[in-house]
Amino acid sequence: MADAVVVTGIGVISPLNPEGDRERFWASLCAGETGVRQIRSFDASAYPYRVAAEVSREVLREAGAETDPVLRMAGAAFQLALDHAGIRADGSDPRRAGVIVGTVLGGTVSGERYLRAKRADDGEVAKGLEQYPLRTIAAFLARKAGFSGPVLTVSTACASGTDAIGIGYRKIASGSADLIVAGGVDAICEFSFSGFCALKVLTPDTVRPFSRNRRGLALGEGAAFLVLERETTAARRGAALLGRIAGYATRSDAAHLTAPHREGRGLAAAAIAALRDGGCRPEEIEYVSAHGTGTLYNDWMETKAIKTALGEHARAVPISSVKAALGHPFGAAGAMEAAVCLLAIRDGIVPPTANFEEADPECDLDFVPNVARRVSVRTALSVSAGFGGQNAALLIRGGA
Amino acid sequence: MTPPVRVSGIGIAASPDDRTRVAVSPGSRLSAALSTLPQGGSPVRLFHPIEEMAFLAAYDALSLAGVALPVGGEGIGIALGVEEGIDGIKARYYQGVLSDGPLGASPMAFPLTAPNTIAARISILLDLRGESLTVCGGSLSGAQAIGLAMEALREGRSVGVLAGGATSVEPEFLDALCRVGRPDGGPPRGGACLLLLEPQASAGKVDGMAELIGYGEGFGRDEISDAVQGCLEDAGLSPGQISSVRVASVQDSRLLPEALRRVGANAPIARSPASNLYSASFPAAVAEAATQAANGTPGPVLVVGTDCLAGASAALVRGGGRR
Repeated sequence: MADAVVVTGIGVISPLNPEGDRERFWASLCAGETGVRQIRSFDASAYPYRVAAEVSREVLREAGAETDPVLRMAGAAFQLALDHAGIRADGSDPRRAGVIVGTVLGGTVSGERYLRAKRADDGEVAKGLEQYPLRTIAAFLARKAGFSGPVLTVSTACASGTDAIGIGYRKIASGSADLIVAGGVDAICEFSFSGFCALKVLTPDTVRPFSRNRRGLALGEGAAFLVLERETTAARRGAALLGRIAGYATRSDAAHLTAPHREGRGLAAAAIAALRDGGCRPEEIEYVSAHGTGTLYNDWMETKAIKTALGEHARAVPISSVKAALGHPFGAAGAMEAAVCLLAIRDGIVPPTANFEEADPECDLDFVPNVARRVSVRTALSVSAGFGGQNAALLIRGGA
Repeated sequence: MTPPVRVSGIGIAASPDDRTRVAVSPGSRLSAALSTLPQGGSPVRLFHPIEEMAFLAAYDALSLAGVALPVGGEGIGIALGVEEGIDGIKARYYQGVLSDGPLGASPMAFPLTAPNTIAARISILLDLRGESLTVCGGSLSGAQAIGLAMEALREGRSVGVLAGGATSVEPEFLDALCRVGRPDGGPPRGGACLLLLEPQASAGKVDGMAELIGYGEGFGRDEISDAVQGCLEDAGLSPGQISSVRVASVQDSRLLPEALRRVGANAPIARSPASNLYSASFPAAVAEAATQAANGTPGPVLVVGTDCLAGASAALVRGGGRR
C-alpha cells in the first residue's frame, strides 16, 4: 500500500447529540449517559417491550416532516463530516470522490407509510415512496456533494457501517478514489421493532452489555460518517489527521441466520484478518470497541472471539461497548464505533461499558465497567457482527 | 491496466412469473442440489423463491467450476446484489403487523427482510466462510457486486468469489415504485445469476470460460461515459477495440449511443434478453457475453447497465485464451 488512508472528518447524529455536536456525543459516552428511553416515535403500547434509543423527532422535524428520518440524519451527519474535514464542494475532482453508505432498513419508514396508506386506500399512496429504496440515501448524499466517483450502498446487517468504512478504505488504498465519505445510518420504525420483539431479543429496561444480568438489546438510531482521504491529498490541503484506517476484513460465520456461531468463528477470523491486513500484532491493540449488544449469545460469542483473535493479550486490553448508551443503531453502529475509536485515540480515554452491574464468568475480560478510563491508545480494533453470520473488523491507528 | 479475473463458473436460475417457486417438489433440480449437501440429517427449508433461485445459481456456478461442495474455509467469499428482491417479503411481513399487531410479526419471516439474508443462506448451505458482502444498487446491484469481487481477487484477499445478483419481482412495492422511477427492461422477471470469479493465475480448471478484463462505474451527469471510460482504462484498452456492446439495463436507452460516441466507441449495441432481471440483469449479461466469448465470438464485449439512483456500471468480457 503506497499511501495511508487517513480520516479527516467525523460527523455523528445520535440520541445523545441529535443536533450533531460531536463533543457532546463523546462527553456523554465518557460520562456513561444513556439515550435509552420510552419509545416516542410510534405507539409501542401494544408491545411487550417499550424502550429504545431515539433521536429527538423535534430536532429531526426541522428538516421537513415529509423527509424520511434516514435522509434527515444521514444528510446532517454527512455534512458535519465534510465540514469537520474542511471539504468544499468545489475542492476535489468529483470523479475521484464517492459515498459509501451502510444501512439495513434504508427508507423503511417511508415504506411503512406507503403500506399503511395502501391499506387505508389513500389516493396518494405512492407519495414519498421514492425515499424507500436503500440506495436512495447514497444517491442523495452524492448529489448533495456533487461526487461522481464510487457510490455504493452496503447492507450487511449490523456490520453495514463497518463494511462501508472498510470498503471506502479499500477504494482509496487501491487508488480507485481519493476521497470517500463512508458510514452508516438507520432509523427506528415499527417494522424493525416488531421483528425484534417477535425474536425476543429486546431488553425490557436497560442495555447491560457483558453483564451477567443482561436481558437483551435496545434498538437505536442515528447516522455517522467519516471522511477518508489519501494521506498525501489530505496533507496537500493542510487537513488535520484524526487517525488512519489501517486494516479491514469481513468474514462469514456460515452457521445460522439469526444466531452467532457459538465460538465466534467468523468474528475471530475477521479480527485476525484485519490485523494481518494492517500488519499489526495483537499486542499492539490498546482498545477494542466491542459489538456488545447486551444479548446473551452475542456477548458470550464476542468474548470468545476476542480471546481467539488477541490470544493472551485479550486479558490486558480494555474493551467496551457503547450500546448501553446508544442502543443498537444497526447500519450506523459500526460507523459510530469507528468514531469512538478515533476519539479515544485523540483524547487518550476509553468510554465505559455503561450499566455494567454483575460480572459474567463467561465474559471474563476487562470491559471497562461504568467509568471511563485514561489509556494511551495508538491502535484500536472495532468489531461488528450481525444477522446472517456477518462479521467485520476495522483496525484504526493514530494519525501521527 | 489491472490483471484480468477469470469467469470459472456460471449459474442462472429464473422464474417465469412473480410467485413461482423454482422447484420444491421431490426430484427437482433444487431438491437434487440440496440433497448433495450434508446438513446433519435435518431437511433444508428455503422460504422464498429468491432464496431458491440464488442458491441454485450459486450451486451451479461452483459445480460448473469443479469446486467440491460444501466448500469450507475462508478462501471463497460471496458478493451479492439484492434490492427490490426482498420488497415483497418486507411488505407481507409488515402487512401482518398492520393486520394483527404484535402477534402478526412473524419471527420466521422477519430475518428474511434483511437484504444480506440471501447471501447468508448461500454461505450457510455451501459453507462459504470468506468475505460476505451484500450491495443494494437497484438494477446495478449485481454489477456492483462483480466490481467488489474483482477488487477482492486482484488484491489477493480471496481465492474465489461468487458474485452476482438476485431478484424476485413481487407487486407489493413494485407497482408504486414504477411510478416514482424504475429502469426500463420490459416486464419484470425474478431470477438470480451468480458467477464464480477467480484470479487469472489460478485459472485452468475449466476450459472455455472467459475473463473479466475491466470494470468501471459512474454517477451523475456523465455516468455512462464515465463508467465506460473507467472500464477501458482498467482494462488498458482503447475504445476502438470494443467489438460489441451488450445492454444489461438502461434507464433511458437513448443516452447510451451518445455516451459511447463521447468516449470514441462505435461498436454495435444489442440489448441483453436478461435486461428485465433487475439486480441479476448485469451478471446475466456478463454470463451471456462470457458464454459467447467461450464459443469463439470475437471480443471484447462491453456490458453496460444503469440505474435511476445508483448510476452506471460497465464491464469488459473476452474469451479466456485471448491476450
